[in-house]
Amino acid sequence: MNRIPVVLCAAMLLIPACTGNPLIRKVPPGPEAEVAACMDCHSNVDELFSKEHPAVSGDDIRTCFSCHQPMDPKKAEPNTFSATLHRAHLNKESGVDCLSCHSWIPGRHFGISGTGVDLGPLPENNMPLLKKTFLSWAGSRYLDARHAKQNVTCSGCHGDSLPAPGDTIKNERCLMCHGSYDALAEKTVPEIFPDRNPHQSHLGVIDCTVCHVAHGESRAYCLECHQKFVMKTPG
Amino acid sequence: MDKEKIDSNIKSTRRDFLKVTGGTIAAAGIAANGFLLRGSEAWAEEKPETWNEEVDVLIVGSGFAGLAAAAEAAGRGSKTLILDKMPTYGGNSIINGGEYASWDDEFSLRKKLNLGDDTSKLHMTDTIKGGDFYNIPALVQVMVDGAPSALNWMIDEGGLKIRELVNRAGGHSAYRTRTCTDGIGRGYTEALRKIAESKGTEIRLGTKVTRIWRQGLEGPVLGLAVENRKGRQNIRIRKALVLASGGFGYDVKMRQDFNPIVTPDINCTNHKGATGEMIRYAQAIGADTLHLAFVQLYPFAEPETGILDTPAVYPFRGPGFGMVYVDRNGKRYVSELERRDVCARAATATGSKPTFSVFSEKMIPLMGTKEEVKKGIAKGRFMTAMTIADLAKEMDVPGSHLKDTISRHNQYLADKKDPEFNKPVTAMMVPMTEGPFYAVAQWPAVHHTMGGLRINESAQVIDIWGKPIPHLYAAGEITGGVHGSNRLGSNATPDCIVFGRIAGTNAAKEKA
Repeated sequence: MNRIPVVLCAAMLLIPACTGNPLIRKVPPGPEAEVAACMDCHSNVDELFSKEHPAVSGDDIRTCFSCHQPMDPKKAEPNTFSATLHRAHLNKESGVDCLSCHSWIPGRHFGISGTGVDLGPLPENNMPLLKKTFLSWAGSRYLDARHAKQNVTCSGCHGDSLPAPGDTIKNERCLMCHGSYDALAEKTVPEIFPDRNPHQSHLGVIDCTVCHVAHGESRAYCLECHQKFVMKTPG
Repeated sequence: MDKEKIDSNIKSTRRDFLKVTGGTIAAAGIAANGFLLRGSEAWAEEKPETWNEEVDVLIVGSGFAGLAAAAEAAGRGSKTLILDKMPTYGGNSIINGGEYASWDDEFSLRKKLNLGDDTSKLHMTDTIKGGDFYNIPALVQVMVDGAPSALNWMIDEGGLKIRELVNRAGGHSAYRTRTCTDGIGRGYTEALRKIAESKGTEIRLGTKVTRIWRQGLEGPVLGLAVENRKGRQNIRIRKALVLASGGFGYDVKMRQDFNPIVTPDINCTNHKGATGEMIRYAQAIGADTLHLAFVQLYPFAEPETGILDTPAVYPFRGPGFGMVYVDRNGKRYVSELERRDVCARAATATGSKPTFSVFSEKMIPLMGTKEEVKKGIAKGRFMTAMTIADLAKEMDVPGSHLKDTISRHNQYLADKKDPEFNKPVTAMMVPMTEGPFYAVAQWPAVHHTMGGLRINESAQVIDIWGKPIPHLYAAGEITGGVHGSNRLGSNATPDCIVFGRIAGTNAAKEKA
């Protein structure tokens, strides 16, 4: 494939334009520029798939999209395709650059190269956080990694806009997968003191995120006043 | 250097200094020294670079007072926003004991239950006497006059439900304390939230104020600088700012600064957000304060942690029906109908933690519910036994002492006279002759700060020169003067809600 060297050259030329994180390059391509090509790194694409996976004819990400439709952001559900791809490319060892597959014009566009997919504007300042958060998702001891194991990616919680610093998740979104607040309460009735139920407390319905933190340490808010309670928030 | 040049240098230095110190507290210190009178133009210059948002009525705090203010303001068509720094709404209000002092209600419960007479005047007299006459009478008048209608308003519009009982609590000379069915302040906050949100109020949690913007020291309040997870922003008011952010019981330093005997080792019933910084921000724009040294201890908190859980409300509900307080020696130490400050001091003076409330089965439906008591037993908070002797064992107090104390108290009730502590005995008090008997351990903990911002009957905040600060209102525990030196139990809820309503109503009337 004669265009591989071209891509590499272009990438090398662009590396000096990095700001901060060496994994993040500023590249000019818009949605219709270079296609994210698996062959750039993987000499044998077929090796990547499980036996069950249907035969793949192409060698870039557009091929994937012919079967794997982008998720409906209104639905909070696992996205195995996205989760698998991200998990494979996101670890400290391989550390593949986001922009190997994604196109980015800071503040205007963040998408999937060559596919026309636009995930929304991603300001320059938000990129390091996005990267950090995605690494956390891929392997932290927090709730984000628990979601990763269930193949829930960003949009599973954050919906149709790219997460921005300080974003928080509304209860309705959590409950789309986790059932009703009442159902949760049933699951968390303590054995010894049944009315010390964090999902049925004297505070009524509170924000899930008061206790459950995806990209950081979760806490048991009850304990801030009720010091003698024995309570643990998972994740 | 000629004189003009020197003057201009001095001026610019002062300006720079003010710019550098910038923060409200530093600037207020200068104001207090009078320096700012000449430098007030520097103050006037201090404006936010940008206003990120604009609302009609902006309220700080989502407890009784803030929600009541929002309900009234939004009900009058004002775009109303409540800010709360905490991640959950309701502050101290949502965890309060669920008690509401009112000399009447729409069900005429007191009359129905044959619990004697009461009037607005008597409620006022008790409140002022309980506050050692430090109370500002005009403010007390507003509270007692507005208490029944505010209660009825929550019942009619907010779906509030109250129990069919009326308690006589310490310092009150009548049976006037209503309890919501929930038995916790959430009964009222939910009713208020329902009204406020149905009228379009937005409650924004996790957002803390970092300063109040006022135009100079004589101009109107303009808005707030705030901070939350999304960053800093400035919110401008078109009509008014209402401060309803509560007291400072959880701020160990602040409470001890004003009252050195309230030492850090004393427990606290409050939620963690009760830290009083809004009082300081208001002082920084010239607001006057009063009574900041008056810090109330709740005499009956859970001894170990200081929380005011449901069992801890029972000692407060019981005195009107014959409950007895005893020390670790099994002896009475105070008149059970005494005010909170007297009960707390007497408990501390026993010198041995904890003290106890003792009651019998018959009293339960008069003051609370069997279900609450059952739950309290399951949690190990209430102790129970069929005989006084066995109860004494549970309590680890001398059985002979406790038996003697209870039988003597029974005699006092029969004689309608308490020669030991001069408790005003009433016919509603039940002698403890039949078991099962119950006890709950109790110990004082910081509960309420009576002092705060000076307001007038219209809930306007008054400045240090005695003038209302334009477009600024306050209501609830952040204010001072309603309760004097000692608040009577169950007066906080009507205080917050009555003044909250007034603040919200007047805020909505301000010209944009």
